[in-house]
Amino acid sequence: MSVLARSVGNAFRNKIRTAAVVAVLAVAIGLALSMLVANQAVGSKVQELNASVGTTLTVNPAGGQGFEGGGEPLTTTEAQTAASVANVTSVVGTKALRLQTATTGTTSTTGTTGTTQQTGQGGGFGPGGQQASVSTNLTAAIDAGTLGNRNNSSGTTGTSGTTGTNGTTTQPARALPITATGIGAEVDSTGKALNITSGTGLGDYTTAGDKALVGTSLATKNNLSVGSTFTIQDKTFTVAGIFDAGTAFGNNAVYVTLPEAQTLAATPDELSTMIVTVNSMENVDSTKTAVQNALGADKADVTQGQRNLETAVSSLDSVKNISLVAFIAALATAGIIILLIMVMLVRERRREIGVLKAIGAPNRTIGLQFVLESLVLVAMGSVVGAVIASFASGGIASALISSNTSTTAATTTQRGGGLAGAVPNGAVPGGGGFGGGGQGGPFGGASQLLTSVTASVSPGVLAAGIAAVFAVAIIGALVPALLTARIRPIEVLRGE
Amino acid sequence: MIEVKDLVRQFKSGDRTIKPVNGVSFELEKGSLSSIVGKSGSGKSTLLSLLGALDKPTSGDVVVDGVSLAGLPDGKLTEYRRRDIGFVFQQFNLIPNLSAVDNVMLPMEFAGIRKAARLKRAKELLEQVQLDPEKHPRRTNRLSGGEQQRVAIARALANEPKLILADEPTGNLDEQTGEHIIELLSSLSRDHNTTILVVTHDRSLAQKTERCFRLQQGRLTEEVRSGSRR
Repeated sequence: MSVLARSVGNAFRNKIRTAAVVAVLAVAIGLALSMLVANQAVGSKVQELNASVGTTLTVNPAGGQGFEGGGEPLTTTEAQTAASVANVTSVVGTKALRLQTATTGTTSTTGTTGTTQQTGQGGGFGPGGQQASVSTNLTAAIDAGTLGNRNNSSGTTGTSGTTGTNGTTTQPARALPITATGIGAEVDSTGKALNITSGTGLGDYTTAGDKALVGTSLATKNNLSVGSTFTIQDKTFTVAGIFDAGTAFGNNAVYVTLPEAQTLAATPDELSTMIVTVNSMENVDSTKTAVQNALGADKADVTQGQRNLETAVSSLDSVKNISLVAFIAALATAGIIILLIMVMLVRERRREIGVLKAIGAPNRTIGLQFVLESLVLVAMGSVVGAVIASFASGGIASALISSNTSTTAATTTQRGGGLAGAVPNGAVPGGGGFGGGGQGGPFGGASQLLTSVTASVSPGVLAAGIAAVFAVAIIGALVPALLTARIRPIEVLRGE
Repeated sequence: MIEVKDLVRQFKSGDRTIKPVNGVSFELEKGSLSSIVGKSGSGKSTLLSLLGALDKPTSGDVVVDGVSLAGLPDGKLTEYRRRDIGFVFQQFNLIPNLSAVDNVMLPMEFAGIRKAARLKRAKELLEQVQLDPEKHPRRTNRLSGGEQQRVAIARALANEPKLILADEPTGNLDEQTGEHIIELLSSLSRDHNTTILVVTHDRSLAQKTERCFRLQQGRLTEEVRSGSRR
């Protein structure tokens, strides 16, 4: 009988105790593996976030953002300047348009004791001076609602509605404008890849064309499908694809190519925003400064898209850290369990160890026998633990993420709303607005990303986890194995 | 030839110094069967432990076939026990969850003998000690006391040692089984030309050995007897 066979036999000497030890080890190992799986899943997600969203900068005209503010518009020359900055991998220009349904016009508000005439948002340029309002035959998918009407009512006057001593305000329903954006690549206004749910993209985004991408809710509202047509400024466009932006505001939008939008706005060289992608997360801060310096503080405002997701990434990082600590703690627990069990077994078998030494067993053989016996217990615990982990890791990861990000998500949502709400009243009707949409989008995305972490037990992670468990078990078993070397046979045999 | 030279083993017990073995010297011829008698606590087992290198003497030496044990490192002493010594204990001290055959194979495994060879020899030894072949694969905790002692003797013979040290080998057995065990040891001594030293407090058992030593207050004296066992 070899040392291994003897170790296996010893592991099953007391079956009830072995079962109990295996059960306890399985829980510790299962927890360790679950934490490792959660750690890997969150780590991958953090990498994904950092790689996709965390490396973009948004450039707006100095003093302007979306349809708001003032200053001079950005031009393709500035896009080229930004592209020449070190660590910049790409620059995508956008051109924002406001599509007004042809029927939208002047509205009036009448109160009991006073009347205010209000001009609608159709036609003309807004404060930013960089958007173009163009007509379309499309109908907005978003009803004005209380927010839209309230914003519209204070539009050009900057006051809120009309009130009198006992006055009431009545406003007819308003049709909100539709967001149209010319894009230089297949990304949305925040630089995130468009999620085209049917049809195709626009193909060549560097030339003008009569194809468009339409948001899902806008398509539904106007009974559009791939191949359908609609008009902007009397030009007929064909729906090439339908996209899902993930938000009601984002889906009330149209994308055309950048040159087409510039043509429609009759501003061929102008850009509303530029989305600058940096080559790595580490270079984002320095590149932001470099782009800002290259364009000039009086010409452009550079904001870091990553900031929007910092809280989310930070939250995921903290989940990652927690899961790593929990993994190490569970591993240590497994090691301590092994240590205690093996110390107990060594004490229990002192006499047997003495006999083995008396008949000529070297210390290393006896030590090896105990280490192998502990590994047999760990192997059984690992099998059961792996089964536990395969069922529990998803739930544990979700619980970790949800418990750790609930506060963050609330904060994020609140901040996103705050930014949208910060858009000056009356300038942009509706609950979003370009400013709000531009900043709020990533926030909404962050919440989605936080909950989209999927923990799956991959063989590689499982193997790494079990290898770590075995390493810890060997360390745990070495101490009692070394204890056997200190047992002197005469001491235990004298007990006779 | 086993030579014991002025062997002393002393312990501290509080302020007192106890010398269970105090200047013991004797020689054992190869293939002899000898016994040491004495009262409980007279130092018999301590002397046996010193001869078997389970313990180290305070002074003196044990020389086995010209090799001195004094000053040998632990590793060499382990090797000495494995190669040159066979132990038979009063409590048998078999590994309870192993079969009779596996118990006998253990010392051979430690000596690096191949599995097939040690299995063959283990079976032969168990036959020599007259253990029913049906009981060879049986776990030793399911054997009777006499059967367990036979297995223990077979285990002691496994590596063909120069010296077998038996500490009260019949102490846990009934009279008839004890006599069988002594006869077995006697025949093994003859057949294998192995030196056997039995420690016992049983005078009738000691009478059956060639030489009988008395240990009293740490000192050894040989009893002079007429006749021989052979």
